[in-house]
Amino acid sequence: MANGNGTEPLLRVEGLVKHFPITRGIVFKKQVGTIKAVDDVSFELYPRETVGLVGESGCGKSTVARTVLRLHRPTGGAAYFKGQNIFEMSKRELRELRREIQIIFQDPYASLNPRMTVGDIVGEPWEIHKGVVAKANRRSGVQELLELVGLNPDHINRFPHQFSGGQRQRIGVARALALNPSVIVCDEPVSALDVSVQAQVINLLEELQEELGLAYLFIAHDLSVVRHISDRLAVMYLGRIVETGTDSDVYDHPVHPYTQALLSAVPVPDPEHEVTTRIVLEGDVPSPANPPSGCSFRTRCWKAQDLCAGDVPALEDRFDQGHPSACYFSEELQVF
Amino acid sequence: MSVMEGGQSPEGGVFPLDYDPTAPLLEIEDLHVEFRTRDGVVQANSGISYTLREEETLAIVGESGSGKTVSAQAVMGIIDSPPGFVTKGAARLRGVDMFSLPDHERRAMRGERIAMIFQDALTALNPVFPVGWQIAETFRAHRGTTKREARKHAIELLDRVRIPGAKERIDAYPHEFSGGMRQRAMIAMSLALDPEVLIADEPTTALDVTVQAQIMRLLQDLQDETKMGLILITHDLAVIAEVADRALVMYAGKGVEQGSVKEIFRNPGHPYTLGLLQSIARPEQKGGKLIPIVGSPPDLLRVPSGCPFHPRCPYRKDVCSEVEPPMTDTRPGRASACHFAEEVLSLGKR
Repeated sequence: MANGNGTEPLLRVEGLVKHFPITRGIVFKKQVGTIKAVDDVSFELYPRETVGLVGESGCGKSTVARTVLRLHRPTGGAAYFKGQNIFEMSKRELRELRREIQIIFQDPYASLNPRMTVGDIVGEPWEIHKGVVAKANRRSGVQELLELVGLNPDHINRFPHQFSGGQRQRIGVARALALNPSVIVCDEPVSALDVSVQAQVINLLEELQEELGLAYLFIAHDLSVVRHISDRLAVMYLGRIVETGTDSDVYDHPVHPYTQALLSAVPVPDPEHEVTTRIVLEGDVPSPANPPSGCSFRTRCWKAQDLCAGDVPALEDRFDQGHPSACYFSEELQVF
Repeated sequence: MSVMEGGQSPEGGVFPLDYDPTAPLLEIEDLHVEFRTRDGVVQANSGISYTLREEETLAIVGESGSGKTVSAQAVMGIIDSPPGFVTKGAARLRGVDMFSLPDHERRAMRGERIAMIFQDALTALNPVFPVGWQIAETFRAHRGTTKREARKHAIELLDRVRIPGAKERIDAYPHEFSGGMRQRAMIAMSLALDPEVLIADEPTTALDVTVQAQIMRLLQDLQDETKMGLILITHDLAVIAEVADRALVMYAGKGVEQGSVKEIFRNPGHPYTLGLLQSIARPEQKGGKLIPIVGSPPDLLRVPSGCPFHPRCPYRKDVCSEVEPPMTDTRPGRASACHFAEEVLSLGKR
């Protein structure tokens, strides 16, 4: 993914691979297979930008984010934060890294400890990273953060259950901001929220990005939301990126058949919108434990030829427009 | 488990005497449902009314807790009681008042005349019986069909909902099906007895977008074939825009706006509908900033006075917190429950 502004990327992921073993037995564990959750994924994230990772459930988008944060142990590849390889960092260096990269989770009900007050939750990062904020200043620090995310600072002693879903997600955002990170991984941050509340959180994320110069790695399955917030996108299918580009490249000029099928399945909230292309895919996504040879989309693809079963098509810039795709038969098709 | 419950029904295929094929397909009038809980009485539905015609798709739209599912469960007669009670209102299917039917007649109506599918097909299906057996049970229970005949019908149904290899798959268990296939199996089961009304409660919410498109297409094709009326319960405005003819927008257990989907989207007549439409992102164009609705949906134990939307409404005036606006006709075929519906309508296109 190229970016025109000439700066160094904050985060550069190269050839990331994550396989999970399938084991059988309890005492004598035996590996009987591998789930290829992520295979050869590369992308870059520049300061102040939002990169959207999209794809259907099980495509590996969350695994990418979690492996980059070393919440999973990587199987292969490298991820550089400001030039330093995350996968070779010592425990101490990792701790430092986590000040820079924070994460917001999907479920604001499960990701906040119900027995802790909001003040304790938002201030907890300072307990772990001592020395960031002096103990005496923590209370006022939390209140500032609460105000920043649009919550009442007087509610510092309340518990998570006293807040609505949208407010809880704001608490999650405040916690992520506590250490003043440069990157926030947003893993489906609005999927669990009511429609009328989603826009509140999306706007908050946009305002904070503007104000604090944050970069977001934004993971979501809602393609409308992702388009709205992202500068660039990567579309994933069965553990691989099949197409990347700016939001307009991917949505207005998609070239990979999977992207085209995915977008054509997205309903448009306008009853008078005339559908240009309607592609309804047959069947389901194959199991990542046993993906098809070659291009993993070929079993559902209407363009598939013998060639597709051979080598995996590389993600390359096939039209020299800074819009790489991984299909031998890449061709633009208007979907909307 | 709409079509499953009840076991043997000797009345299978026989309908109540006041069944009138010329009467409107489904009429819901002033439906009130409450749940008597330890914390107080929750008014889950207070005064829901709508009419469904043949071949029509009516969307019931609302956020979680707006009472959209309860309204459907009440019509089906599958509300747990206690704590849930239908306290007022009528539901007439071809003139038959469902609420006054004796249990065994109501059971006969379910499945035969009206059926329902659910969001989570995995919980709705019984994990310890093969899918085909569960579909066949419908025939055995309602029609007294022999086992062999019922099995044959079940295979035909799986074929009809386009499950590949129906013959081989009929003995598979629900966990062996993918999410999309389970939902297809549910649809097969609900259509077994050719109901006139199908209620689909968030049928695609748990599914991926490409599978969602398959299921919605299937429902539309089946509707074309059978001319059934479809009630689609969803929170997804985009899905409604694609498939529904008319919509009922619900908020805090009440209907707030009703009309054709085209007109509602073009020119909403209630501030809540307008707010929803302004707050959603669009896939086909990169819009400007989203305009969210402030606050969050109310707790049904503490519904605000007057218009339930007034604390979040940008157009509220004093009267809104005092007087509850009734559902009033605004245009032919359209109604809105807002004191200032005309003003909202005059705001024009969103």
